[in-house]
Amino acid sequence: MSTFVPLLFAGVALGAIYALIALGFTVVYRASRVINFAQGGLLALGAFVTSWMVLDEHLPFWAAFVCGTLLTGLLGLAFQLWVVRFAIGRPEFTIVMLTLGLASVIGGVLPTLFGNNPRSNGDVWGASSVHVGSYQFFWVQIWTIIAAIVVLLVYGAFTRFTKYGLAMRGTALDPEAATAVGIPLRRVYATTWFIAAVVACIGGVFLGGYPSTVNPTMGNIALLAFPAIILGGLDSPTGAIVGGFSIGVVQEMVQGYQPQHAAWLGNDFYLIAPYLVMILVLLVRPYGLFGSRPAERL
Amino acid sequence: MGLEPGAGLEQGAGLEQGARVGEGPALDVDGVGLQFGALWALSEVSFSVGLRELFAVIGPNGAGKTSLFNLLSRVYEPTTGRIRCFGRDMAGLRPHHLAGVGVGRTFQNLGLFPHSPVVDNVLVGRAHLMKSGTVRAGLRLPSARREERHHRDAAMEALAAVGLASVAHRPVGALPYGIQKRVELARALAMEPRLLLLDEPVAGMSRSERSEIVDLVRSIHATRPLAIVLVEHDMGVVMGLAQRVLVLDFGRPIALGSPAVVQADPEVVRAYLGQPLAAELAGRAAGRTPAGGLAAGSPRGPVPAGPAGEPSGGGAD
Amino acid sequence: MLGVAIAAVALGVPFWVDGYWRTTFAFVVIAAIGALGLDVLTGWTGQISLGHAFFLAVGAYVGGYLGAHQGLSAALWIPAAGAAAGVLGAVAGPAALRLRGLYLAIVTIGLVYIGYYVLQTWTGFSGGPGGESLPPVTFGSWNFARGVTVAGHVFTRDQCYYYLALLLLVLAMLYVRNVTRSTLGRSMVAVRDRELAAAVLGVHVARTKMRAFVISSVLAGVAGALYGSFLSFAVPGDWGLVLSIEYVVMIVVGGMASLWGPVLGALFVVGLPALLQNVSTTLTFLSNTTSGNGLSPADAAEIVYGVLLVLFLLIEPGGIVGIGRRIGRQLAGRFARAGGGAGGS
Repeated sequence: MSTFVPLLFAGVALGAIYALIALGFTVVYRASRVINFAQGGLLALGAFVTSWMVLDEHLPFWAAFVCGTLLTGLLGLAFQLWVVRFAIGRPEFTIVMLTLGLASVIGGVLPTLFGNNPRSNGDVWGASSVHVGSYQFFWVQIWTIIAAIVVLLVYGAFTRFTKYGLAMRGTALDPEAATAVGIPLRRVYATTWFIAAVVACIGGVFLGGYPSTVNPTMGNIALLAFPAIILGGLDSPTGAIVGGFSIGVVQEMVQGYQPQHAAWLGNDFYLIAPYLVMILVLLVRPYGLFGSRPAERL
Repeated sequence: MGLEPGAGLEQGAGLEQGARVGEGPALDVDGVGLQFGALWALSEVSFSVGLRELFAVIGPNGAGKTSLFNLLSRVYEPTTGRIRCFGRDMAGLRPHHLAGVGVGRTFQNLGLFPHSPVVDNVLVGRAHLMKSGTVRAGLRLPSARREERHHRDAAMEALAAVGLASVAHRPVGALPYGIQKRVELARALAMEPRLLLLDEPVAGMSRSERSEIVDLVRSIHATRPLAIVLVEHDMGVVMGLAQRVLVLDFGRPIALGSPAVVQADPEVVRAYLGQPLAAELAGRAAGRTPAGGLAAGSPRGPVPAGPAGEPSGGGAD
Repeated sequence: MLGVAIAAVALGVPFWVDGYWRTTFAFVVIAAIGALGLDVLTGWTGQISLGHAFFLAVGAYVGGYLGAHQGLSAALWIPAAGAAAGVLGAVAGPAALRLRGLYLAIVTIGLVYIGYYVLQTWTGFSGGPGGESLPPVTFGSWNFARGVTVAGHVFTRDQCYYYLALLLLVLAMLYVRNVTRSTLGRSMVAVRDRELAAAVLGVHVARTKMRAFVISSVLAGVAGALYGSFLSFAVPGDWGLVLSIEYVVMIVVGGMASLWGPVLGALFVVGLPALLQNVSTTLTFLSNTTSGNGLSPADAAEIVYGVLLVLFLLIEPGGIVGIGRRIGRQLAGRFARAGGGAGGS
């Protein structure tokens, strides 16, 4: 049983990243009913920008982290203001494809600016760890979990107690009614894209910590977070968090135990385990554990 | 008029529907209720529609008319009660089964496919009568071509019946609203229905367009062996057209009977009409005003509160 | 007249260009078959799929297995590859198509992952991470790998693949044209535009989506079989999400729900990187390496795809075909005015 606790801990840390990514998806989905396929690209971009400011521009890590987060957030905002805005009212397909376009551009720009070689995220923890009994926990994982919890709490407070947060919830429930009571939809959309990009950057910086690296393909993790949002339901932030942590734990457990106990499943089984869980859930609940069926009007 | 369902309405004998008289009424709605969260959009609605009857459901905005229609179309599941169609229990039918049972409908907010030509829109209404296998369609087998020609002719006939044969090949999205409404009617007819559901067929139309539609509906009813259920906000249209009328208010039936009886019902007058319209109605009851006199979006009467509980909001009704 | 011109160009191209471009055009025509399939599902039926790469891979490896290990003729393994992809589409369809809109997109990403995993793990079938040789197309004594001599004329390998793919593309286009003009095609458009209304009007929505999904899978399987064979060697990473996205870009840029859109889109998406690669020796801002810093042709292509995707979606949702139609209308208008003016004076 000595492997169980480290695996669970690693799963929760990975799940924290998934939860952040899933939250980013959900925030945009609730307001605009689209999936932002550039979420992974924004995550990688944020990690690269932060790493660049620390390693090449020699900023202190925390300052770089804050700057990187803001810059990524502003990019998300700019994309909404200069691109997505012109497609509001068009079929959801159009906006989804626009985000694929952004993902493609980011995918081409990152290696051009920063090269293809993996690099450190420049954080202050490195490989340092803490020992509890016979277990060893990396500081970066501990901070990942703390950061995710803080972000989720801040987001929860934001949606409950601030004007914009309430406007976002109203928009998610019924955009027409929201307009009718004077909620400025354009600002709500802009806010959601800013928030999504900010949480993407936070996720990216922590994902790039030891023993991982910052590299151009790290954004692919967003694809592994899809099962998390499907599991929870696209339109449910609670679902995103529950789904994110569950998928993280499932994936780490599979990676830890499957090679010994079911070696015939091969080396990459952990990669599809989240998708298999997702398919099982969808067979039972087609719109996730917390989600609702997309409405269609006659 | 003021006929009871069944009695004297089955003169369609000799037509193909004649053989099915024994199946029961076109529509039998029994104690139906529909709940959304804490709200009852409809409660205890019961009525039946004879095989060749022209039946209308009216009520102010938010009375539950569209909810009722969506129940009949199997878009919603009733919370309580039962709906039978030609004697067949509708529970367990999926929306796409309805066409096969003989139910055709139009949509209040137009259910057209804007990029397709008019005749293709009408042909969609005949999809349930056609085979659509991937091999047949892709290889254009002779049988598929014959079938296509046959149904295209039928679609053109339906368009001719509503006077739209000349625009058959125009994209439907480019046509004026009033024409689009008639395309919907043609499509519903092309479905070869035994029960035709019309959801606010004159909503948003000009006065002259409106009387054209009213005439069209009347002649469809006179010439084809089918029952028509018509949901309408505009009381004037209904009174000149329907044989019997059901009045809904806040999801509850408040009156059922011939137009004359319903118009005289004090509760209807109170719920539906309120102030200036009462006078107009009284005038029409005396036979002075032609059908189609009330403006769409007429005041919803003395009740100040919002719609009682249609999930899609009063705006969709 | 336009048709004759297009046919002449399509038939003549492999004789007018050098080997580099012959190879590129063969890839273009192969991709056009797959893009046509995706357009049936996404353009005509409105179902967003990012799982096209999965069905391409199924076609490639099933074709390769039957051709190399079972020694079948290409006349058998190409249709078999399409059929296998179609069967897998029919198996995956009912689970995937219960879901509306974006849920489907995500579940089809799952297909790509599962496909990748199977290819990595099932080494007897795919060669595993080390990759697998895929057999050349052979018909009797004709072996496309060695070139084919017909009536004294030697057709090179890429010309052989080009003409075979062109033949299959024309057949596929005829098939898709017939389908979209049939009741199935009308039902697909109805499902795309207003799913619930279509259902109430008697369209069997699930069946319609299913048929579109199967057609799309079969065409992907055929394209995948040709693609794999033309590549002659493939690793599991070749069939990733990037490939799916390229096909989506093809239909969007070319123009969705049109017969020529996927073809033009394939020409664009496959041709552009080839063009950038070709000119990278003369353009100094393009580095000629794929690693290290600087703008590699592959990255440049990715950026250009992205930008064009955005521009087309915002400015011309009809794609290249839409631009063509617009120009055609304007020309027609000008001719009409000119004719009217001449008649009046």
